[in-house]
Amino acid sequence: MSAGGGGINGTSVGGLLARRLLQLPLIVLAVYTVTFLLAWSIPGNPLENPEGRRPPPEIAEAMQKQYKLDDPVAFYFDYLGKASGVSWALGKHPVPFDLGPSLKQPDWSVNEILGTGLPVSISLGLAAMLIALSIGLVAGTIGGLRPGTTPDYLTQLLAIVGISLPSFVIGSAILMFFAVKLRAPAIGWGGETVFESLVRASFPAFTLSLPFAAYISRLVRFGMIEEMSSDYIRTARAKGLPRWKVALKHALRNAFLPVLSYLGPATAVALTGSFVVEKVFAVPGVGQHFVDGVLGKDITLVMGVVLVYSTLMVVLNLAVDVLYRFVDPRLG
Amino acid sequence: MRILLPFLLLVAALVATIALDRPLPPADLVVIERSDCYTLDPQRMSYQHELRRARVIYETLVNLRASDCAIVPGVAERWESSDDGRTWTFHLRDDARWSNGDPVTSRDFSYAWRRALLPDTAADYSALFFEIKGGRAFFEKRKALLKAFAEKAKAGGVNSADVEQLQRDTMLAFEEGVGIKTPDDRTLVVHLETPLAYFLDICAFPPFAPVHRDTVERFVSIDPKTGGYIQRHGWTKPGEIVTNGAYTPTVWRYKRDMRLERNPHYWNPDAVMADSIECRTIENPNTGVLAFESGGADWLTDLGPEYKTEMLAERRAYLERFRADVDAGLARGADLDDVVGALPPPGEGERRDARGFDAFGTDFFSFNCRKTLPGEKSNPFHDARVRRAFALAVDKQQLIDRVTRLNERVASTLVPPGSIDGYPLVEGLGFDPARAREELKAAGYEDRDGDGVVENERGARFPTVDILYSTASPRYQNLALAMRDMWKRELRVAAECRGKDSKLYKEDLKKGNFMIARGGWYGDYGDPTTWLDLQRSDNGNNDRGYSNPKLDAMLEAARLETDAAKRLAMLAECERWLFNEEVPLLPICNYVTVYMYDPSRLDGMSDHPRLEQDLSILGRRASAPTTEGAGARSPSESAQ
Repeated sequence: MSAGGGGINGTSVGGLLARRLLQLPLIVLAVYTVTFLLAWSIPGNPLENPEGRRPPPEIAEAMQKQYKLDDPVAFYFDYLGKASGVSWALGKHPVPFDLGPSLKQPDWSVNEILGTGLPVSISLGLAAMLIALSIGLVAGTIGGLRPGTTPDYLTQLLAIVGISLPSFVIGSAILMFFAVKLRAPAIGWGGETVFESLVRASFPAFTLSLPFAAYISRLVRFGMIEEMSSDYIRTARAKGLPRWKVALKHALRNAFLPVLSYLGPATAVALTGSFVVEKVFAVPGVGQHFVDGVLGKDITLVMGVVLVYSTLMVVLNLAVDVLYRFVDPRLG
Repeated sequence: MRILLPFLLLVAALVATIALDRPLPPADLVVIERSDCYTLDPQRMSYQHELRRARVIYETLVNLRASDCAIVPGVAERWESSDDGRTWTFHLRDDARWSNGDPVTSRDFSYAWRRALLPDTAADYSALFFEIKGGRAFFEKRKALLKAFAEKAKAGGVNSADVEQLQRDTMLAFEEGVGIKTPDDRTLVVHLETPLAYFLDICAFPPFAPVHRDTVERFVSIDPKTGGYIQRHGWTKPGEIVTNGAYTPTVWRYKRDMRLERNPHYWNPDAVMADSIECRTIENPNTGVLAFESGGADWLTDLGPEYKTEMLAERRAYLERFRADVDAGLARGADLDDVVGALPPPGEGERRDARGFDAFGTDFFSFNCRKTLPGEKSNPFHDARVRRAFALAVDKQQLIDRVTRLNERVASTLVPPGSIDGYPLVEGLGFDPARAREELKAAGYEDRDGDGVVENERGARFPTVDILYSTASPRYQNLALAMRDMWKRELRVAAECRGKDSKLYKEDLKKGNFMIARGGWYGDYGDPTTWLDLQRSDNGNNDRGYSNPKLDAMLEAARLETDAAKRLAMLAECERWLFNEEVPLLPICNYVTVYMYDPSRLDGMSDHPRLEQDLSILGRRASAPTTEGAGARSPSESAQ
């Protein structure tokens, strides 16, 4: 699942798409199998309240049977068939892509949980990436154009802070100040007006964006320093083009390439790694459901999230590779 | 610029997705809970916050009044029991309605209770239904029928006629064998296995609530391979769900929020305060507090442990400033919340919006009472004298003052004092290190060679005490460490603490792989047996492996006693003996639950020791409370 452009030279975009889409089921199957083994080996019983009373053994046994938890092999194939849509295609199951009921929250199917949580997590992740890009590009360009000056030191300092401070610390501080002191809408998700929704989303998105913004700014700064001292820039400057035009039109374009290959995996991390931010800001995304699922051995929920996310990751990486070809004409 | 276009589209899509996500309209009462309901199916519930919500969504035969936990009419307007206490007849009111206007009938109860008895449903509280005559036999019969069907299916010989026959046999077994009868729509007759003194209390327990048969049945299908019922749970979703309580859910967003609105057909609308209730789920305890502090919420049901001590101290500072007014108000018989709510607002470093309540739960440590430990190692705690010695050596007041720091009430027995009407206060063992050493000596252990560690007569040291706790909360670790030091100091034994993740801890507990282990219990219903049954040899939650025919016989005798007062006296004697002689577990204190709510704004919170809050009687005050002429309510606030 490489995100870079390496190794894809010489094939057409169509060939790339075809090959990657053929790989997709194999990759997802491998992820499914590994996750299944890990999830099954989590100790405990998902149908039991860990801090509470225990039902009589005959009831516990009936519960296990109800969800096929007494037979891992049967569970593995049954779930795989229903989730992949194969059972549906064979006419054995009424609906395709059925990820099963959550074992801990029997009133909810994993499809419903993902259906409500995924749009939220994706919005949050993408919003964070947009903010990270904006901050990172501006800060990196400022620093890269004038390395060693005060603005450069300041942006680098901010980058170090952004990378090293954990998001629950920043998030809590933001909540203390904006939610409690200023009474701004910062906890939860959604709002009465478009403005309120955006304000509410901006706090978790900003918190989530910081480490990415910091990393992007360092990538851009380094790229700018290198590009600005290269021959083609000197030529352009010699032709009499103004410095800002050279920087933004030529240097930034090339300095942006490493950022683009970073964006694929970074977006993946932002989408899957948002659970801390989701918890702190009470954002109803998939991340925290997934963590709760792992802690509670909610196997169907864990498997469902992993299946959907791994598919999403493969597609996302593919999208970045395709985008790369448009930006960098040297490739295909 | 070509590359900017997809980004702009992305931004537009993002803004649209975020903006389209609307919050709920403002509700009359906003409650913040730490977790969402796992299910709204009353027969399958088992968590406290679910049961609390179920009490206002479904109405049981009788209701539990929050303020004093008295039994008051619910769907049944009156009821009577036979002289032997084994037959109960309930007369249902005719104006009880489901939220879709259908009348609530005795058949709805019979249907719901049958669901709870089916192994296909696998209800947590099935065992409570086994008290009904023929209940357990029906459960076993259905299991046998399913097994026979599955074997026939394996041989390849089942058809739709077999499936129908299975359902007919099941229904017949229920109608003929189980003591739940519906002579007409308004009458429900229940026959019990034994005279169950607390049967009405159980009838008020949400797993005994009725469900709307037609709605539930739409989501039930029969698995042709096993003959079992496949119960999908879509019927609990707003839009589908039909309820007979004060409220009905209109919105439910997974782990986010639930909105309850008045059931338009509820027979007793005047008893209901708020028109709408929003229950928000905020899992992070820190965020929950910040959300409450930022305004907009009326009640935070579970204050995070990091805040409890500090906030309760701030409340004590506030009450201290107005000590005279509070005492005068309470002396007039006013409710504490009314008194506190009428005081001037708190100043710097003070607060009145956090309050601790003694819960219907007891924190304890279990002794492993089995003869041997895993690996056939001998277990010193099999000897009651050793258990008594360890119990006597613990200074619980010091644990509360220095470790838990929530001003909990010290417990020496299991049943929280004052929680059950007519049940006397029972005292167990206190702190007495001298007697503790004598008990240990009587068990054969004393320091014979003066090395500071006790040995038996053969010179073998007392085995290192293995103290197991779950790392779910630092509280348990701190308690375990403090007790280890007390035992080392007072009894001269070596002890080690072993912290485990809550699931691994539970496994060790089941396997009996510990000498002393953290435990705790919340009562289910208003009878001492919800506590004492824990020690029965056959109880599934008897983690201690304690087995004593004398105790089983005492409890069985009380079960068959029809005289209520005599029965409670027998149980009290049983508890006294258990916690002075046998000591299968070491009670530490009663739990303290801390709520956040502002008594000058919110009315209706109960401080009855069973701590059953009724969402339908909570409401915002129209004006600041006055304490003049207030009715007499219990003026106790032990935990402040």
